[in-house]
Amino acid sequence: MSVIKSIKAREILNSRGNPTVEVDLYTEKDGVVSSFRAAVPSGASTGIYEAVELRDGDKSRYLGKGVLKAIKNILEVIQPAVIGKSVSDQAAIDKLMIDLDGTPNKGKLGANAILAVSLAVCRAGAADRNLPLYKYISEIAGTKMRLPVPAFNVINGGSHAGNKLAMQEFMILPVGAKDFNEAYRMGSEVYHNLKNVISGRYGQDAINVGDEGGFAPPIQSNKEGLELLKLAIEKAGYTGLVKIGMDCAASEFKVENGYDLDFKTKNNDGSAVISGEKLGDLYREFIKEYPIISIEDPFDQDDWESYTKLTASVDIQIVGDDLLVTNPERIKTGIEKKACNALLLKVNQIGSVTESIRAALDSKNASWGVMVSHRSGETEDTFIADLVVGLGTGQIKTGAPCRSERLAKYNQLVRINEELGENHNYAGLTFRKF
Amino acid sequence: MSIESIKAREILDSRGNPTLEVEVWTSEGMFSAKVPSGASTGIHEAFELRDGDKSRYFGYGVLNAIVNVNNLISPTLKGMRVDNQKAIDDKMIELDGTKNKSKLGSNAIVGVSMAVARAAASIKGVPLYRYISQLAGNSNIRLPVPCFNVINGGKHAGNRLPFQEFMLVPIGAPKFKEALRYGSEVYHSLKEIIKERYGLDATNVGDEGGFAPNLTSPEEALTLLVDAINHSGYQDVIKIGIDSAASEFWNPKTSKYDMDFKNIGSSHLKSSLNSGEQLMSRYLEILKKYPIAFFEDPFGEDDWENHGKITAAIGNKIQIIGDDLLCTNPERIKKAISEKTVNSLLLKINQIGTLTETIEAAKLAKEAGWGCLVSHRSGETDDHFIADLVVGLGTGEIKSGAPCRFERLSKYNRLMKIEEELEKLHRSNGNSFEYAGEEFYHF
Repeated sequence: MSVIKSIKAREILNSRGNPTVEVDLYTEKDGVVSSFRAAVPSGASTGIYEAVELRDGDKSRYLGKGVLKAIKNILEVIQPAVIGKSVSDQAAIDKLMIDLDGTPNKGKLGANAILAVSLAVCRAGAADRNLPLYKYISEIAGTKMRLPVPAFNVINGGSHAGNKLAMQEFMILPVGAKDFNEAYRMGSEVYHNLKNVISGRYGQDAINVGDEGGFAPPIQSNKEGLELLKLAIEKAGYTGLVKIGMDCAASEFKVENGYDLDFKTKNNDGSAVISGEKLGDLYREFIKEYPIISIEDPFDQDDWESYTKLTASVDIQIVGDDLLVTNPERIKTGIEKKACNALLLKVNQIGSVTESIRAALDSKNASWGVMVSHRSGETEDTFIADLVVGLGTGQIKTGAPCRSERLAKYNQLVRINEELGENHNYAGLTFRKF
Repeated sequence: MSIESIKAREILDSRGNPTLEVEVWTSEGMFSAKVPSGASTGIHEAFELRDGDKSRYFGYGVLNAIVNVNNLISPTLKGMRVDNQKAIDDKMIELDGTKNKSKLGSNAIVGVSMAVARAAASIKGVPLYRYISQLAGNSNIRLPVPCFNVINGGKHAGNRLPFQEFMLVPIGAPKFKEALRYGSEVYHSLKEIIKERYGLDATNVGDEGGFAPNLTSPEEALTLLVDAINHSGYQDVIKIGIDSAASEFWNPKTSKYDMDFKNIGSSHLKSSLNSGEQLMSRYLEILKKYPIAFFEDPFGEDDWENHGKITAAIGNKIQIIGDDLLCTNPERIKKAISEKTVNSLLLKINQIGTLTETIEAAKLAKEAGWGCLVSHRSGETDDHFIADLVVGLGTGEIKSGAPCRFERLSKYNRLMKIEEELEKLHRSNGNSFEYAGEEFYHF
C-alpha cells in the first residue's frame, strides 16, 4: 500500500502567463519514495455557481493573480491532514479536503489548492495499482473506456475576440474518422485550410490566435462564421465526416429584455435585441442549414425555460456549461427540467476528482452526454485526456490544434490510442452516449 | 545501462504540424523527447525530413523519419550505453552519411540524441542540466536571463514593422523567478496598452506568443515597449532585445534593405530603401535612444561585411548575435570568430542535429569570448530540454517566446523548478549557482 509522505507546492505560470498551482505529491511504499505531479487549470470567465479559485489579490505581484495563499493552504492545512493516508482512498481524501475547507464553494482553502492535491493523488493511486491513469479512472468510476471525438475550437467570437461575432466558439468535430489519430489529422488539416482561407480574405493578422488557439477573423455575423467553417471542411475534403459545434456563451450577450446579437458594438441602438424564443428559432435555422451536432450555452445561465424548449425541439446535443458549472444541484435541476441533454465537465469548476466522476455518472444515469473540457488557462498537465478516456464520455473540448497546452492533451490521446491498440474504441458517431 | 529499443511516433507541435516524439527504452525505464521545428529554415542548417505526401498534413507528415528511427537507428544503437552520448551521436551521423543529415532526417536524429541524454542523466541519478554540464566540462551552472518575444513584425506579422521580434530582457532581476514575474507583468501591461490603442483583436498572438499591433516603425514598437516597462515600474531593470531577421527585408535587386517591405502597394515608401551604412546608422540611433541589450541578425545572412562593421562599432557595449548568419553551423561559427563578424551565437539544437554537436558549438563560442543565446523554434512542444541545456552550458540567456502559450512557458516553468532545486542544494551544502543577470552574455 502506497501512502502519502509529503506534498510540495509551487507557483508556476499557465498558458496565459498567469500564476497557477503545481503540486508534487510524494508517496512511500515499502521504503520506496515516488512523486506525482499535477498542475491546475484556470478559467478566464468564472461563474457565481462554481468553485472558488483562490488568488492573492496582492496587486504588487502578478497584478493580484498570485496563488501563494493557495500554496500555503496546501502546505499548512492539507498536507498535515493527508500524510499517512493511502493513495487508494481517493474518495476519502477528497472528502477530507472538502471538510477541511468547510464552505460550499471551496472558498476557504481554494478549489485550486484542493484540486491540485486531488489530481496528484489520483495519479499516485493509478501507479500504486500499476495501471495507466485512464484505466484506473475507468475502474474507480465503473465505466467503459473509449477514445473521444475531439471538438476543436477554431473560430472565436464573443468576449474572446474583437470582432462582431456574438457567439464565442465555433468548433469542428471529426465524428466520421475511423479512429482518434485520424480525427486528429482531420482536425489539423481543416484548421490549416481555415487558416489559409482567413489569411487570404482578411490578411495575416487575422491568423493570430486567441487563448485557446482559435482565429478571430473580422466577420460580421455568426452565419459568416459557419460559412467559413463549411468552406474549410470542404477544402480539406471532409464534408460529411467533420461536423460543427458551437459554444454561444449566451450569458455574455444577455440583456435585460432579451439577447443582444450586436453586444460587441458599444452604445448600439438595440435593434439586434431578440427574445429567447427568436434566438431559439435562429438556432433551429442554423441546425437546418449547417451540419451542427452540438450547441453549448445557447441561452443565459438562468434562462431554464428557453433551454427546455430548445432541447425538446431539436435532435442534436445541447450542452450546459454556464448553466450547470459542473454543480451537482444544478445538474439535478437541469435533468428534472430537461433543460439540456449534455454536461460540460470542467474538473476545476467542481474542485475534486471524486466530484467530477460523480457529476459525469449523474449525467450518464440520466442518459445525457458529457463533454470533458479544458479551461482557457492551461498547462502541460494532461489529466483530462485520461479522464475522458477512463470515463468513456466520448467527447473532449480542449481547444484548437495549436498552442501546446492544447496539443499536450491531444498528443496524450495519441499515446493512449496507441496503447489500447485494437481496443481503442473511438466514439465517432456515437459520441453522445456512454 | 544500454539501449534496448527506440521507438518514435507522430504527434503535433504548437502550430498543429506533425513532429516526432522519440522513446528510448532501457531496462531502467523509458525516456522520451519531442522534436522542435523551425518555420523558416536556411540552406546551411540540418535537414528536417518531411514526407511530402500532400494527402496527409499537406505533406508535413514525418512517417519516413519515424521509420528511420524504428528500423535504422534503433537496431544500430541497440546495446550501446546511454551514457556514451558522443559515440551514439557519432554513430547516427555515420549512419546518415550526409553532410546535413538529410538521409535519416535531423528531426529523427535529434529526437534520439535528446532522449538518450535524458536516459543517461536518470541512470546517473543527476538532473539533466547537471549531466549536460558534465558532458560540456562546464563547472559554472547558472540560471539564464529570459528574453521574452512580445512584439512581432517582419514575416511573423501582418503589420508594416520590418524587424521580426522585440524582446524584454530583465537583466536587473535578482533571480530567474523574479525575471519571469517581471516579464509576465510587463507582458500583461503591454497587452492592456495594445488593447486600448489598437483594439482587442490586436491582443491575439503569433506563433511564439507575441503581439502584432498595427505599428509601422521599429521606433514606434520600442516606444510602446518602454511605455509598458515604465508602466510596470521596471525601467532600468528590463532592457530590450531586437531580432531584425534582416535577411527577410534584404532586396537583392536593389542591394538595399527595404524597411517597408511589407507594404507592396503604391504607397510603398521609396525612402525605405536603406544601404547597409544607413541601416547601421539607424541601429546606432536606436541604441542611443532606447535601453538595448542586443541586436540579433541586424544584417542579412550573407552580409558578413556589415555584421563585422557593427560589431566593431558597438560590440563592446552590447551583444551582436548571429542566427541566420551562423545557423549553429561550426564552419560558419569559426569563420565569424576569425573575422570578428559578431560576438554571440544563437544556439538551436535542431539546426545542428545532435546534443554533442550543440555542445561543441557552444564551446566554440565560449572559447572565443562570445556570448551564446540558447533558443527555441517557432514550432515547439511541451518538451523543455533547452531549459536544462541553457543551465548546464551556463550560457546565461535563453530565448523561448512570450510568457504565453504553454510550449513557451514549459521552458520558463522548468527553469523556475531548476532554480528552486539549486536554491535548496545551496542551503543544504553550499553548492553555488547564480542568475546570469547583468553578466548574462559572458560565460
